[in-house]
Amino acid sequence: MNISFSFASLAMLFAAFALAPLLMGVILKVKAFFAGKQGPPWLIKYHTLVKLLQKGSVYSTSTTFIFKLGPVVSFTTAVMLLLFFPFAGMAPVLSFHGDVIMLFYLLGLGRFFTVLAALDTASPFEGMGAAREVFFSSLAEAAIFVILALFFRLSGSLSFAEYFTGTHAVNLWSESAALILLVVIALFIVLLTENSRVPVDDPATHLELTMIHEVMILDHSGPDLALIEMGAFCKMLFYASFVSCLLFPFQTGTPFFNIIIFAMVMTLVYAGVGLVESITARYKMDTVPNYILTSFALVCFATILTMEFVL
Amino acid sequence: MLQSVFLLPFLAGTAVFFLPVKSGRLLLLATALFHVLITALEWFQATGPLQTQYFANTPEGMLVLGIMSFLFLLISIYTVFYMAEVEMSKEPVFNASMLLFLGAMSMVAVADHIIMLWVAVEATTLMSAPLIFVHRSKESLEATWKYVLICSVGIALALLGSFFIIFSMEMSTVHVPISFSSFNDVADQLNTVWLKAGFIFIVIGYGTKMGLAPMHTWLPDAHSEAPSPASALLSGALLNCAFLGVYRCHQLMVGAGLGDYSGNVLIAFGLVSMLVSAVFILNQTDYKRMLAYSSIENMGIIAVGIGIGGIAAFAAMLHMIHHSLIKSSLFLTTGNILLGYGTKSIDRTRGMLRLFPETAITFFAGFAGISGFPPFGLFISELLIVMGAIKTGRYVVISIFIFCLILIFAGASRLVMQMVFSSRDSDERLVPEQWSRALPPIILLLTSLTLVLWMPDSLFLTIQHAISSIGGTVNG
Amino acid sequence: MIHISNILLALILLSVLLSLRSNRLMALVELMAFQGVMVSAVPLVLETAHGVTFNLILFFLLLVLVKGVLIPWLMYRAVKLVVVDREVEPIIGYNASLFAGLIMIVFSVYVTNNLHLNMLPMDHKLLLATAITTMGAGLILLMTRRKAITQVIGYLIMENGIYLIGTALAKQVHTQYVVEFAVLLDLIVAVLVMGIVLNDINHTFDDVDTTLMGQLKD
Repeated sequence: MNISFSFASLAMLFAAFALAPLLMGVILKVKAFFAGKQGPPWLIKYHTLVKLLQKGSVYSTSTTFIFKLGPVVSFTTAVMLLLFFPFAGMAPVLSFHGDVIMLFYLLGLGRFFTVLAALDTASPFEGMGAAREVFFSSLAEAAIFVILALFFRLSGSLSFAEYFTGTHAVNLWSESAALILLVVIALFIVLLTENSRVPVDDPATHLELTMIHEVMILDHSGPDLALIEMGAFCKMLFYASFVSCLLFPFQTGTPFFNIIIFAMVMTLVYAGVGLVESITARYKMDTVPNYILTSFALVCFATILTMEFVL
Repeated sequence: MLQSVFLLPFLAGTAVFFLPVKSGRLLLLATALFHVLITALEWFQATGPLQTQYFANTPEGMLVLGIMSFLFLLISIYTVFYMAEVEMSKEPVFNASMLLFLGAMSMVAVADHIIMLWVAVEATTLMSAPLIFVHRSKESLEATWKYVLICSVGIALALLGSFFIIFSMEMSTVHVPISFSSFNDVADQLNTVWLKAGFIFIVIGYGTKMGLAPMHTWLPDAHSEAPSPASALLSGALLNCAFLGVYRCHQLMVGAGLGDYSGNVLIAFGLVSMLVSAVFILNQTDYKRMLAYSSIENMGIIAVGIGIGGIAAFAAMLHMIHHSLIKSSLFLTTGNILLGYGTKSIDRTRGMLRLFPETAITFFAGFAGISGFPPFGLFISELLIVMGAIKTGRYVVISIFIFCLILIFAGASRLVMQMVFSSRDSDERLVPEQWSRALPPIILLLTSLTLVLWMPDSLFLTIQHAISSIGGTVNG
Repeated sequence: MIHISNILLALILLSVLLSLRSNRLMALVELMAFQGVMVSAVPLVLETAHGVTFNLILFFLLLVLVKGVLIPWLMYRAVKLVVVDREVEPIIGYNASLFAGLIMIVFSVYVTNNLHLNMLPMDHKLLLATAITTMGAGLILLMTRRKAITQVIGYLIMENGIYLIGTALAKQVHTQYVVEFAVLLDLIVAVLVMGIVLNDINHTFDDVDTTLMGQLKD
């Protein structure tokens, strides 16, 4: 295992962690722009977090310790994800051969505990949301693992950091650019699914029946909710950086330029999410699997073609 | 000029669209007449050779063109009188489409460029579609939809096959223009794998158009729903054009030394077509569908004949000529029957001999011709195919062949006997017989008979030329 | 180094895939237009390696005009005028169609690899696989959609695929603009004729559902 506690790596990690809520603000701004509104302030998510942390948590008498465990686990797993990510081409804090498998199992673990906590409340709505969440993410996971297989084929590595660095870096500017284009689209669909964005799920909905992710966390309050929110920001950040790394290789040589470009591409990806949310309607629940399976089919297309035509 | 053979109908067809009905009919007749003249000039190559990349004067093309031109003249005469009886709101469209259809078919006959041939065959589908759905009944629309879609998809596959054949040239070291004549010259240097693949797609593609089973499904519908002159044209001329496409590729295959392979493919498709039509003809209730299935059968016979080669190839060409003449005569007669009875059902068209004696005699004579009775040409051609098969030792093939012929004869004769001889209660005649409409089918039948008794040397030589490239001879 | 032709092909594959799962007719027509433009650009991109000629660009523009504008516009009008209910109505489900598309690409890659086309450059191999997939997807659409109009779209997608195969294999054809033009003309007339028949079918049957047409059989 490579452990890099260099100043740059740690600084990038903390910067990413600190800026995740701000980037969520970008989505809100873009959506407000398309709606012709001024929108909430840029720092709205920080205010929300501070507000939530100042409150106390309320627990139903029917819940057990699992309910309290849920937010903690989902937050920690999301933070752990960031440890492995090579932000702006920097060496990640942690990396080892095969860490990609670990990464996506960490994501799964976080989801598992969120679902358990939701079921623990014994609320019918939360069970419904949990069922939907698990169904859709398992479909998205199929696409993710095909992507991992494809990247292994392209870069010959099973370490997340090595996907994007080194001689066989995977990105839109490499030899197999055309196929990566398909992967980027597929990954963007997965991003929307995993982070409960429109057109799969609407984070702004107010009706429990139409919710997927939100309904699972209805009973959490105060610091617990803050942890869940923060975990969600980290997860979003992780996927957005994943897409950004495919869009552009952050290997200009100068770390400063890398960081600037990285920040710009990240903003673009978040703005893209906002754009998609503004111009598409949410799908009916029964067409969502169809949508997610499209991403699976896309990466399958890319993988099959890569197997035969690249190298 | 060779191109005038299709340019003239195209121009005239466009004009007929805009002309009033009466002058449209006149122009139809005039164009038919001029077409025969141009075809005759081309037949004897009186216009002198004209070098183009896309078109050429070939013996097999001339055969098809000659039949087509002659048929079209008689059918257009018939059409004019037929139209006087039926009220058709869109007659200019019908007449114009007839001419455009003739143009497209003539283009097939003279096309030499591989893709140009495809363009022409696809054009025949599109130009003939309006002919089928002029009535705009539910059935005719269904038939048209099936026809356009199945044939377009089939022909799209033929385009794929054409690309494969072109690629077989690019795979090898030779580089010649993409025309059948220049490909035939270098046939032995072409890549055989791609040629084989291309041939399969061509047979499936043009075979769809030709009515080879199992791609024949559009044919009975289209032939039965189209107005009778259009059916006659479809069956007598269009099927030959599609056959020409297959035949051109077969020539190429023989030149490349793959004659056995392509011959076997053709025999297989031919036998399947005969079997399918034999099965479906037995219980037909619609006499136009019965004739349509008979067309599938005859196309099968032609494919088998070409596949066997030798004297059978000569027989196949003979079969093509006589089938066109007799079948279009039959379809024209069914037009008269349809006018007289107002129905296509076999059950309700009894007692024809008493009610419509002239029509009945023509119909029965045509039936005798199409089933291969001795005085007619199909007897000779079928006999020669059997002889050719026995000479090459294809006993299984010829057993199935004869079995199908017997089955079809038995099935069809029951139906025809019923129509012609059985009695009928009512004596209602919607439209009385007329010599003007009875004459064209009779002339067609007589032409077929004449060709049996006395075949012009020029025709004989053209057939010999046409089949010499696939090793066909008259002497076996 | 990026290959523009590969990006084009990826976009064509994307349009193929989306057309298989598309449930709205309008979206299908838009996808077809997009695909038409991409398909027309392929020969341009491939041929530029041998130098750009005036004819090449002119023909590219003509292709885009026909495949990307004229034909989709005709289809668009047909959908507007003819179809009231603008759902696609598949006979087999969208996910099954997607799966069929996946099988199609496996098949096409297998075929392309087993042809031993060593003389073709890599681009052309990928082009061939894409083309076969497009053709197959067109066939799938043609066979598994109930509306007559989707069958026309399926036919057009299939035609796009065959055109691509021609681009990959038969280079000489694409320098003979007379022939290409004739093929294009056929396509336009085909769409026109199908459109007219479609209109009549709609008038007579009050629908364009092909399952209503089953009167002719033995």
